[in-house]
Amino acid sequence: MTTESTRNIIQDKGNVFWLINVYVNTNLLRYGVIQMSYIEFKSINKYFPGVKALNNVSFRAESGKVYAFVGENGAGKSTLLKIMNGDYMPDSGSMIIDGKEVNFTTPRDAIAHGISVIYQERQIVKEMTVAENVFVGDWPLKKNNVVDYSMMNEQTRNICERFGLKIEPDVKVGNLSTAMQQMVEIMKAVRRDPEIIAFDEPTASLSDKEIEILFRIINQLKEQNKIILYVSHRMNEISMISDEVIVLKDGELVGQKPTGSLSDDDLIRMMVGRPLGKIFEELQRNDNIGDTIMELKNITTDYVSDISFNVRKGEILGFAGLVGAGRTEIMRAIFGLDKVISGEILLEGKKIAPKSPQSAMKLGIAMVPEDRKDQGILPNISVKGNISIAVLKSLLNKYSVIDREKERKIADNAIEKFRIRTPDADKQITQLSGGNQQKAILARWLEMNPKILIMDEPTKGIDVGAKSEFYQIICECARAGISVLLISSELPEILGLSDRIVVVREGRVSSIIDRKEATEELILKYAMVDNEKKQ
Amino acid sequence: MQESMLKKFKKSDVADKVSLIIALIVLVILFSVLNTNYFTSRNLMNILMACSLMGFVAIAETYLIIANQIDLSAGSVAAFSSVFAAYLVKMGVSPIIAMIITVLAGCIIGVINAATINYLKLQPFIATLATMSVFRGLAYILCDGKAIGISNASYNKIGSYRIFGVLPIPVLILIIAFIVFGFVLARTYFGRSIYVLGGNSYAAKLAGLNPKAIIFKLYIISGAMSALAGALLAARMNSGQPAAADGLEFDAVTAAVLGGAAFTGGTGTIFGTLLGMLILQGFNTGLLMLGVQTFWQEVAKGVLLVVALTFDYFRKLSRTKKELEESKLNKSNLVDQA
Repeated sequence: MTTESTRNIIQDKGNVFWLINVYVNTNLLRYGVIQMSYIEFKSINKYFPGVKALNNVSFRAESGKVYAFVGENGAGKSTLLKIMNGDYMPDSGSMIIDGKEVNFTTPRDAIAHGISVIYQERQIVKEMTVAENVFVGDWPLKKNNVVDYSMMNEQTRNICERFGLKIEPDVKVGNLSTAMQQMVEIMKAVRRDPEIIAFDEPTASLSDKEIEILFRIINQLKEQNKIILYVSHRMNEISMISDEVIVLKDGELVGQKPTGSLSDDDLIRMMVGRPLGKIFEELQRNDNIGDTIMELKNITTDYVSDISFNVRKGEILGFAGLVGAGRTEIMRAIFGLDKVISGEILLEGKKIAPKSPQSAMKLGIAMVPEDRKDQGILPNISVKGNISIAVLKSLLNKYSVIDREKERKIADNAIEKFRIRTPDADKQITQLSGGNQQKAILARWLEMNPKILIMDEPTKGIDVGAKSEFYQIICECARAGISVLLISSELPEILGLSDRIVVVREGRVSSIIDRKEATEELILKYAMVDNEKKQ
Repeated sequence: MQESMLKKFKKSDVADKVSLIIALIVLVILFSVLNTNYFTSRNLMNILMACSLMGFVAIAETYLIIANQIDLSAGSVAAFSSVFAAYLVKMGVSPIIAMIITVLAGCIIGVINAATINYLKLQPFIATLATMSVFRGLAYILCDGKAIGISNASYNKIGSYRIFGVLPIPVLILIIAFIVFGFVLARTYFGRSIYVLGGNSYAAKLAGLNPKAIIFKLYIISGAMSALAGALLAARMNSGQPAAADGLEFDAVTAAVLGGAAFTGGTGTIFGTLLGMLILQGFNTGLLMLGVQTFWQEVAKGVLLVVALTFDYFRKLSRTKKELEESKLNKSNLVDQA
């Protein structure tokens, strides 16, 4: 028998040899008898309906190094991780671990080969304790087949201590903050002692302090000679933590380079073909801002207190602050979602009190909500229906039937104007990439010609290319006389776009800064000053 | 141009329901061969007559299921309404007025259902489970446990008169209802808002819809349809029956689900429900004419549902695969253009 056919037998699923092979491999890995030295992707291709997600992607990752994956949304980073985790099977190409070709059909296969992928969407059970989650599916048993809680809690506590986390193992995960839930997710992956650990945008819900802990964990894993893959949108993190950068663009691998050899601008140029600083400089800002159009006077709700500011016609008013400072809650009061307890809102000099989004819309207020997936898109209907919904009532003919010609025209125009990438207006919105979904939602609101446009983290989780398109649209809105209230956690974005910046801290306005005086340091000072005192 | 016509057809309702239409045709041919009396105008009318009761409720349940709601009280409300209508006629109220009052009572029941869901924040399943029990009980209380006979001949005629000697009045109303409600769902603002609500109610609210108002409308429609079904039932049976229409809501839901309405909300059509209803009743009547014991009809109904949905699942799966193949072949796909 040739070695070739032996290997075929061994790799044939369900075959006894294969089972033994996997078992032995898993245990050798687990007890550190052997160590994985590299994983290689060779010409991986993956198609989805209407999209080529990965096109001939090849790379090699070695142990003891951190590889950062960067690229716009829809560039193929997540697809790559999903293939590695056995969620998707590649249409062609091969994955090689230490010279042996591997094929995963389920995430179980991937785990057996020592791979752990930590996804962006948390996959934890909120009703279970931290320890139960960390050991999920693999709970240690006593001799009588009862789950050994004391051992489980103790081991979990060990992991917590190792990482310097103050989490009790027997607390229900649902009671933890989102950041700590993310940490539980990471502990869950690390507990399996994998050889390859992949993080998919782990810092999206973490504050600076927790990011520090995360980086400490990653450095520990690196010292243990693990292979670490790190997907992120944040430039400064990539330069801090990674050894090599792998850039993807439209499903193709553009380059793999040592991190030190690249500046941020180099990276962005590789991703989109232009540096970021220029994006803001090139924007055509609105030069003649009008008079005050809306004013909030001492607005207090259950979540924010004593909020006062004004916004002028055609102005972009930025809202900066830490996550949870109350920026979204201010907008909720304006958009009729939270009850105003005291204070008043004046629109064009008249007192308004919107009771629902519907009534806010009638007053000319529009809002692009924070969470595109759960609050923005109408998932079961077409791109067309998503764009037309806000103005649908004005598209009825005299028999109060929807005029389908008019609706189609509006949708087609918006698709062209905002360059929404979709085969046609009838495609279901969930089949579009995140950036394009967000464009459709923005188109929906601009269709109703609002006076006030609220945008809550409009570019969250959107790639750099789509971001710059968004910036242009936002400036266009301002030039057209729309007043934009823009919430963003990305300071360059706030600084680059806003005419004035409202800094919010702990449910109150801590400062309003003019564009000319604003710097990152100043904003951060006002956003955090109290926190610093406590420390 | 021809290609775009083909594309249009592929996207249309009819094409989407091809497997159900084929199933219906096969079913009719099969039973027609087995029993020569099956495919006669009289028998086909009988099939429609037999499902008229369920049809009204099925229309309402389709609306509700699309909006991610459900009304379990429909059967009880129909029974209550049949007793209520009979009671009114016995009191000397003229037939048409009695019908109108009954339907209005149904609307009020709908308001009660919607209010418990909107303001007491009960799950639709639980809220209507409660009213299901309440109105079955009230039906018995209203007539003291005994059926109320209707001696008014003109009321009873509503149930038995056949226009041109073929078309029974309930069937005529049902056909009109299917056309009107099908059109409203597909082409009006209200119809669109039902789909939007079923997809994600919070996103619907943020997009400027008023979920509470839509829910009120939906349950009022459901109450009215159940009451109409009950009033017509009383006319057909010449009496108000407190025990009637038991499990009617489940038959209606079966028809809707068979026709493509999904319990996750957001999908379904009135045309699909029509097909689902015809398949269910056509099958039942066929078995009856072949002399199969009636208990087997229940078994058949369940099996039919599972087989139809399984078949539909695999059909959709193969369609997705086909789309995938096409996008692989199509060199000028989206990403390349970008």
